[in-house]
Amino acid sequence: MKHPLSTAAALAALLLSANSCARQPRRTPEIVAVPVAAIPAFPEDRAWNSAPEHLAKLLPQDLVEPRLMTPSTPEMLVRSLTDGSRIAFRLEWPDADQSDTPGPSRMVDACAVQIPEKIEKNPPDPQMGQSGKTVQVTYWRADWQAIVNGRGDTIRDLYPNASIDHYPFEAKALEPGSPAQKEMAERYAPARALGNLRAGPRAAPVEDLVATGPATLMPGPPLASAGKGVFGKKGWSVVISRRLPEGLAVNQRTHVALAVWQGALQEAGARKMRTGWIPLVVRGAK
Amino acid sequence: MARVFNWQLGREMSYWYPESRPRRQFAAVFDINKCIACQTCTLACKTTWTSGKGQEYMLWNNVETKPYGSYPLAYDLKLLDLLGAQQWNGNRYEGKTIFESAPAGERVLGVRPEANDYAYPNTGEDDCAGQVDHGAFLSLPHANWFFYLARICNHCTYPACLASCPRGSIYKRAEDGIVLVDQSRCRGYQECVKGCPYKKVFYNPLTGTSEKCIACFPKIEQGIQPQCFVNCIGKIRLAGWVSSPKHARADNPIDYLVHVKKVALPLFPQFGLEPNVYYIPPIHAAASFNRQVFGPGAAEAVKTYRNAGNDPDLAGLLCLFGSTEALVARFQRQGNVIVGSDEKGAAVVRVPMNEPVHVRPAFDAKNQLVRINCP
Repeated sequence: MKHPLSTAAALAALLLSANSCARQPRRTPEIVAVPVAAIPAFPEDRAWNSAPEHLAKLLPQDLVEPRLMTPSTPEMLVRSLTDGSRIAFRLEWPDADQSDTPGPSRMVDACAVQIPEKIEKNPPDPQMGQSGKTVQVTYWRADWQAIVNGRGDTIRDLYPNASIDHYPFEAKALEPGSPAQKEMAERYAPARALGNLRAGPRAAPVEDLVATGPATLMPGPPLASAGKGVFGKKGWSVVISRRLPEGLAVNQRTHVALAVWQGALQEAGARKMRTGWIPLVVRGAK
Repeated sequence: MARVFNWQLGREMSYWYPESRPRRQFAAVFDINKCIACQTCTLACKTTWTSGKGQEYMLWNNVETKPYGSYPLAYDLKLLDLLGAQQWNGNRYEGKTIFESAPAGERVLGVRPEANDYAYPNTGEDDCAGQVDHGAFLSLPHANWFFYLARICNHCTYPACLASCPRGSIYKRAEDGIVLVDQSRCRGYQECVKGCPYKKVFYNPLTGTSEKCIACFPKIEQGIQPQCFVNCIGKIRLAGWVSSPKHARADNPIDYLVHVKKVALPLFPQFGLEPNVYYIPPIHAAASFNRQVFGPGAAEAVKTYRNAGNDPDLAGLLCLFGSTEALVARFQRQGNVIVGSDEKGAAVVRVPMNEPVHVRPAFDAKNQLVRINCP
């Protein structure tokens, strides 16, 4: 006769196991974009549960100076969805600090998705592409997200106790929003005046870039990209979406590389954790 | 890294890019002994260039008080500490520059200031003694002296900001050697902020790009000295062009002060950037401090400056400081008058070495009255 306690324990173990299995997402060695009717904008959306999970191991950028000499973020969880015309990635990584306030020596959290411009068997170099082989990069930043979420874009929003006596382009004699006022304001923001998209004003937390090797990153053709990042107890969960790579058919493979920057660790630019190429396959609707 | 020649070190050194000197190099001489830290230069620059949003904390020109003052806080001490003790052998630098001592994975040896380090631009720096109560006395670790150090970008021959930028967003103009950040290309990684030992590149948090002193290049292009020069009420500054030693001309004011008389010296030459703002060192500061800040020629420069009264060419040239808005490319002493000329030889200013002095006696004998000097 079986011991009643041992039966109960076995049942409990079975239930726990079954429960655990239900919560454990399916993991794939490649990133699989699963079809959905509509790309979810938020990382918490239940639609993400339909996609398998990929655990992306991250490496320090060690090809060009300045290099990241101390590894930081070890890995990233990735899921992907597609609606047939767009592709979205949800990137999740552990981060103890929400770094979304830029300033002198204050770097911000960020992540990026890189895909070869062309679908080909031999992809470009994974670190920013190579001459003649362009990569497309969609880049998300935590401070841009804060602005899109409603934080003001003034020095007082970054430094509440900042003392400001006067901006010449906000003199009473100038009508706010008038061409003369705008022209003068632009003169005091040379990066904006020159059309540097980095310089804002910002309507989206992402930007589209292209590169043909290290140090060649520049604004690229619009990919209709969008993004949304949410900081939680475990770190960041960020959705980056963009147009499907041109010419990518259902079940055809291309590649994707990922990068992450932790602002609190002074990571910016070339100081980043990154992956090599990860196979990416887009599934069609059944 | 490439091998380049740095005449301020008396030797070749390693640099990120090959040697490529501009057709002519913007340069300046600041006479520290005449600076009173009125900050008129700071305000002239501030109101001209950095009144925009995100530029609130930026001082492309600042005046700090040595030995204790600095902006940003301890920018020089932190780097000197990191570089460690180094040696000069006569006029040859035997130590390592910030390029040669770059740690693995870095382009230069640099220090990144904290945001709060920018919070104290000459706040209380020139109080060389605290309040001394009755009967008490003050004991300091050094003799009781200080001086004012006015600083702009040095528009270095081997800029560390330029070497630090992984994107090549910083460039040195071939026509005048002015170092600029390409505002259309910069992505705000702040590597230049970390790399510049003089901390003269500033990050603008609202445009996401780094910005720096532009030597008022629109004025330079018209043959006019920058704002911080022409607004200096102490007349401590002279802008012009500096040559490398073998091309030095005795009739070029900057060359004369730097190469001929060797009375004007670079700031922290040991860092290896070949900076192009030169200082006549303070005559009352400790010689050891001057040597650390201005290099091995400091003591001799002080001696030469002290003797300027017996050296009419030098004394005359010092009279040209602050005497004209125009850039002075050549100078000549004609008796008691110093003539400054442009590059074509056309005179732009004539300055008497001794102003005529008239003394009006306090007692007016003709009118039998005593004059008073108030209305």
